[in-house]
Amino acid sequence: MKIIGLIITIITGAFLVYAAVDFPAWADPNSPASTYLSPYFIENSMKDTSVPNFVTSLLADYRGFDTMFETTVIFTAGLVCFILLRISGGKEPETRHYRHVLTGVTVTLKEGRKIPASEDFERIDDLWTPPDLIIKTGCRLMIPFIQLFALYVIAHGHSSPGGGFQGGVILGASIILLAISHDLRTALERMREKVVAILCPVGVAIYAGTGTLCLLLGLNFLDYSALASVLHVDPISARSHGILMVEIGVGIAVMTTMIWIYNNISSAGKYNQGL
Amino acid sequence: MSQQYPVLIVIVPLLSAFAISIAGWVNKRLCFPIIVTALGVAVYASVGLLLTVLEKGVVIYHLGGWPPPVGIAYYVDHLNGLVLVVVSLVALLNVIACKKSIELEFPDKAAPFYTLYILMVTGLLGIVVTGDAFNLYVLLEIAALTGYGLLAMGEERAPLSTLNYLYMGTIGACFYLLGVGYLYIVTGSLNMVDIARLLPPLYQSKAVLAAFIICMVGVWLKMAFFPLHAWLPNAYTHAPSAASSLIAPLVTKVMVYVMIRLILTVFTPEFAFATLALNNVVVWLAVIAIVMGAILALAERNLKKMLTFIIVAEVGYMVGGAWLGNRAGMTGAILHIVNDALMTLCVFLVVGNIVYKVKGYAFEDLQGLFRKMPFTMGAFVVGAMSIIGVPPTCGFFSKWYLILGALQAGHYGFVAALIFSSLVSVVLFFRIFEICYYEPFSDHHGHDHPPEPMDEAPLLMVVPLLIVAVILILVGLYTGDIVNHVIKFAIPEGLV
Repeated sequence: MKIIGLIITIITGAFLVYAAVDFPAWADPNSPASTYLSPYFIENSMKDTSVPNFVTSLLADYRGFDTMFETTVIFTAGLVCFILLRISGGKEPETRHYRHVLTGVTVTLKEGRKIPASEDFERIDDLWTPPDLIIKTGCRLMIPFIQLFALYVIAHGHSSPGGGFQGGVILGASIILLAISHDLRTALERMREKVVAILCPVGVAIYAGTGTLCLLLGLNFLDYSALASVLHVDPISARSHGILMVEIGVGIAVMTTMIWIYNNISSAGKYNQGL
Repeated sequence: MSQQYPVLIVIVPLLSAFAISIAGWVNKRLCFPIIVTALGVAVYASVGLLLTVLEKGVVIYHLGGWPPPVGIAYYVDHLNGLVLVVVSLVALLNVIACKKSIELEFPDKAAPFYTLYILMVTGLLGIVVTGDAFNLYVLLEIAALTGYGLLAMGEERAPLSTLNYLYMGTIGACFYLLGVGYLYIVTGSLNMVDIARLLPPLYQSKAVLAAFIICMVGVWLKMAFFPLHAWLPNAYTHAPSAASSLIAPLVTKVMVYVMIRLILTVFTPEFAFATLALNNVVVWLAVIAIVMGAILALAERNLKKMLTFIIVAEVGYMVGGAWLGNRAGMTGAILHIVNDALMTLCVFLVVGNIVYKVKGYAFEDLQGLFRKMPFTMGAFVVGAMSIIGVPPTCGFFSKWYLILGALQAGHYGFVAALIFSSLVSVVLFFRIFEICYYEPFSDHHGHDHPPEPMDEAPLLMVVPLLIVAVILILVGLYTGDIVNHVIKFAIPEGLV
């Protein structure tokens, strides 16, 4: 079976290489891909959309419809992880571990027992790791700056590399960093499961909703120039604002999907403890 | 409003997916009304669109207001107008019929299930409505990803068989994307009509040939064309009933549509049939697909799995018909997309009802079902007759066109395969009728088992099923109209 697979792979690869003979030369400025549509985008992006970064205008305006569905793909990925992994009504584990902060003593509790109400005990995971002050403090200091940078990346997608996808991933990573450096419960206190699960469709709905708003204002779906009358700007800058709106939606959707997938996988769908 | 129909077909289900997802956390009872309303709007819009196309011809919609090839355009002609109606109608009927079983199988995950369901329908509708080769890929991704999620929700072995599907499906989608990439390198465009305009001077290019072949192989993988079918039977058998009765009728058929669209619009029949001269090879592959599908179905002792092998054979019908390279064969293939979607829906809904009541679908579980579930089994008889190809059910007419096309092309192997598979279907289905009608046998000592009381599935499951059964006969009776007013215009004049 392995040999057959190898033969098929080699034949397919050879066929693809054979076909590549007829390709235009590498980086040929006269190839159809660089002469047919690309000049239009490069020359007119600023005129059409008032966005200097034509990657952004291509992604979120000329072919914004594809990008909306790419965002939907990300939402779907999060949802599929949830539906397949989440074990609802997950019970608390039979034994729980607490650490006495002042002495460092670990207390193990059987089911039903309770810890005396005191600030001195903190819950720890089954796979207990020693508390590391440097990691915890270091991450806590870094997270706000990471998030600030993420907002910059989202907002600055117009004129420099960046945008909703990249910014959203950085935002999600900041929360995941919190979960890794502290524990999953701390991260869940900041971003509860319900909040994540609702924000994720809301993010994509902001994108699709912007498009629908254009439709309701009388132009085609995702034709941002329709927003001019609402935003009180000229149709060209309305396109630029429309792109920002959908980028924010993408950012929210990507951030929450990252967190959603992380929560489900790291806790094996139980949401009680994990990395 | 009517000029917005093309985009509404996709956008209303998409927005409702987000609404359902949120409603699942707020008020679960809202999910079902939202999904039914959204699919109802999609059916309304697609019927409206088909009527517009019949009246005025091709409808083109510029997304974002950008004219193609700069932006993405929706392009609706007779071919995808017809398929849109079928896809949205099947999805609507199926979700109504499956409400009970969804709530039974996933008491606390119904909302995410509905979300995935309607996202999948969005993906399929988007694949059909689009006129942009890359947009098609993006929607293909959505349909595939949601499909994996839905299928993996089933029995214990479902995740494993879905993983197989995931590997094969991903390779198939990658092949399609690679083909589109090759086309983009040599033409610089992604719009289907535009590519078709730019291609003729390049017909001798090896890159175009490679693009065509990898696109085809990718699409064949996704539609489970023999010998690339191995993922399908297990993935569909172990899936939850509501998922298999959505995915089994639609996914393979939509992929057949994609294949026909690539042949007719993007590469044009002149290239696909005349320049390449691959017809004979592909039709022989289809012959093998039909014969093997029929034989493998014969070997099964399990109703749902048997039906999945019938799907493999049916894919052979459609691929073979499309590749016969003449008008009658293509008509048969397109008509069979409609008919096969409806009859597969019919028999899979029957399986859903049986699973709901009997909790099994092996042959032993089917004993005495005619007495127990007369309406369900009545619909099953209609669906089975249609698959066998008995007039006046619709299955007969598409087979008629396929055989006509094969005779015109002088391809007697395909004729023989069609007749062979019809005869095998007779054996397959009458074997089941026998079990359902005569078994359990009364023993020899004279005292019979007391006849089991009637125990039909709930009304909400039976009524949509009966509607599908009636549609099967109606489509059969109105085949002439469908062919003369719709399919005739879907095939370019050059193809005789």
